[in-house]
Amino acid sequence: MIIPSSSKHWLWFSSISFSLVLVPLLLAMVSFAAYISQAQWLSYIFDTYTWRVVWFSWWQASLSTLISVSSAVLVARALARRQSFLGRWLLLRCFSVALVVPTIIAVFGIILLHGKYGYVNQAWSWFGGQPQSYVYGIVGILLAHVFFNLPLATRILLQRLEAINGETWRLSSQLGMTSQDLWRHIEWPHIKGVVPQLAALVFALCFTSFAIVMTLGGGPKATTIEVAIFQAIRFDFDIAKAVYLSLLQMVFCGVVLWAGLRLGRPIDIFVSNQTSAKNLRPDLKPVWGMVSDALVLALATVLVLMPLLAVVIAGINTAWFEVLFDQRLWSAFNNSLWVALSSASLSLLMACGLLLAQRHWRDHHSSLALTVEWMGSVILVVPPLVLATGLFIGLNQHVNVFAINLYIVVLVNALMGLPYMLRVLSVAYLKIDRDYGRLCSSLGVQGWHRLRQVEWPILRKPISLALALVAAMSAGDLGVVALFGSPDIQTLPLLMYQRLGSYQSDAAGVTALVLLGLCLTIFVVLERLIGGKGDQP
Amino acid sequence: MINLKQVSCRLGEQQFLYNLQIPQGQVVAIMGASGSGKSTLLNLLAGFISTDKNTARITIGAQRIDLLEPAKRPVTSLFQEHNLFAHMSAFNNLALGIRSSLKLTDLEKQQVDEALEQVGLKGLGSRFPKELSGGQRQRVALGRALVRRKPVLLLDEPFSALDPALRQEMSALVKRLATQHQLTVLLVTHEPKDALELANSVVFVEAGRAHWSGSSSEFLQQNDRHIKAYLGQSC
Repeated sequence: MIIPSSSKHWLWFSSISFSLVLVPLLLAMVSFAAYISQAQWLSYIFDTYTWRVVWFSWWQASLSTLISVSSAVLVARALARRQSFLGRWLLLRCFSVALVVPTIIAVFGIILLHGKYGYVNQAWSWFGGQPQSYVYGIVGILLAHVFFNLPLATRILLQRLEAINGETWRLSSQLGMTSQDLWRHIEWPHIKGVVPQLAALVFALCFTSFAIVMTLGGGPKATTIEVAIFQAIRFDFDIAKAVYLSLLQMVFCGVVLWAGLRLGRPIDIFVSNQTSAKNLRPDLKPVWGMVSDALVLALATVLVLMPLLAVVIAGINTAWFEVLFDQRLWSAFNNSLWVALSSASLSLLMACGLLLAQRHWRDHHSSLALTVEWMGSVILVVPPLVLATGLFIGLNQHVNVFAINLYIVVLVNALMGLPYMLRVLSVAYLKIDRDYGRLCSSLGVQGWHRLRQVEWPILRKPISLALALVAAMSAGDLGVVALFGSPDIQTLPLLMYQRLGSYQSDAAGVTALVLLGLCLTIFVVLERLIGGKGDQP
Repeated sequence: MINLKQVSCRLGEQQFLYNLQIPQGQVVAIMGASGSGKSTLLNLLAGFISTDKNTARITIGAQRIDLLEPAKRPVTSLFQEHNLFAHMSAFNNLALGIRSSLKLTDLEKQQVDEALEQVGLKGLGSRFPKELSGGQRQRVALGRALVRRKPVLLLDEPFSALDPALRQEMSALVKRLATQHQLTVLLVTHEPKDALELANSVVFVEAGRAHWSGSSSEFLQQNDRHIKAYLGQSC
């Protein structure tokens, strides 16, 4: 794709990307296999603690999915219905920000709001209530999961709703449909295809959630498999148990994602938002609809905006001076920036190589081409911590893992970003082939010229979005880095986590603001710089 | 009689203003270059676009309709595509024209079956849109227009996606139904043939106004500069 197909160099390029993806995956798998024989299967299977963890993982993920997706349906419908209200821009902006906010920041915001001395409790005590401690445990986990997944789910559903064509709305208004009729005959049939996959995706994200559960899950009562894997490695040094838990996790995730895939049709997270010029829906006037929409949208805004606002307010304090002149902050800052940019570039490199190989093989070895597609999906099932664990075990025998930890963090984050990269690029690339392939061949536009004149202008937008997303995600990563982190090498999320843990709330506030700023800047700069101005042609 | 008086609207940069009278029971071809405002005329009649001046007035018979909701207006629209709900059978797509809850009485079900028969789809009520050809889908939409029992039918290039033989067939069907049910039909088309064979008269739209109207045969003989340019005849 990026490399002209006529060139022979692609083979080298492709092989390198291939090994970059395959070697870590295989290494992780092989090192897992070595421990399987050591595992005390019977004692694991009859371990009540493990089953409590498994049950809690399912319980919190199901509840998070149910709340996120069902409220996303309400929010998406309200947004589709009200295309020009004052706060729409603000709400959609907040939703975009929520997609790139590091987990630890959201957790911090939620604690600031709902903690024992948070704003909610302060308001409560105004009315004479006693401060309640409710944020640690299932409530906090749900709040954080909804914070992240409501915007994601809303975005996907809104795209589906806005893709409904104008004729359908005109027809419905001529037929005098009420709001309920519209839902039954138009909106639900339009979104029901994506709901199973959307639910499966949200479920998998919540099921494997690590940083949120580690920070907000109060002890053994609220622990997920992902956190248990971490504890087995870091605290119990029981690698066989980590292997067992990882397998359990992968099987559960695989089953859920597979079920979503079978029940619905694929969703495209990265379609740009295109709104039809004019809202033709017949149900805009009834007062009851206006009131309920206003209520839903106000609640969604509060839910997403408040934690972010709390973080910003907490960041403005007198500790600025002290924190900003602290050497640790800037070394963490540099590390985070480096991890973000390297992971994103490496991920892009891998994706390009894989797609190139896929295109080459498509004509001759279709099974090999299919393998490439599978690799993207398999990584989605393998939770980051599982992959990192495998690498940890595999490398630990040969090198000092903690000495090269940042490189491993980069590698794992790049692999984690690969499914998104592949998805974005393959969709855009297939489109180029389909729309312009023959035209290019007939005009003799090939090689470098094809790349420059045809592919780059079309691909730069999706590439920039995927790069920005992977970079921001890697900058905020606090799973892989927690496993490999050492006191010598810090990243901003890790520093933030430690400051939260040691009750340095002022310093944590400033660090949070710096981290938030870094993630948003990376996202905006990459998207603008590479994506260019204006819309995709 | 359909009467449009000072019916104006603005879409983006373009200003539209219609003054027009259409006798009842006629089939009228609306012709004009792309972007001249043919569809806008139909959208104003159907209420998908509202007029922007208080002086505007649209009447059908004795009824003033320009302030009514689309559903209350005595018109039915047919678009080029997307006339049907893809997840509903042909029968249900027709039934929507009677009641959007889809709960029909036995008599109403019978009406739907009759309409299906009239548009030549007897026995195909249980088919879904994807199991029907392009022509059959437009027949379903015509069937729904029949069960709605509205006196005016607005057709926006409904057959332009069909092949010539099918077009002719559909034109004949529209003509037959129009006579049978005494419908007034406004048909946006680019085919001079439609104007001659199907329509009694032609309204020629140019730059957002009804520029010329008259009988079909006169239309093709016109010496007007815009009409000749549109028809591709040299001046």
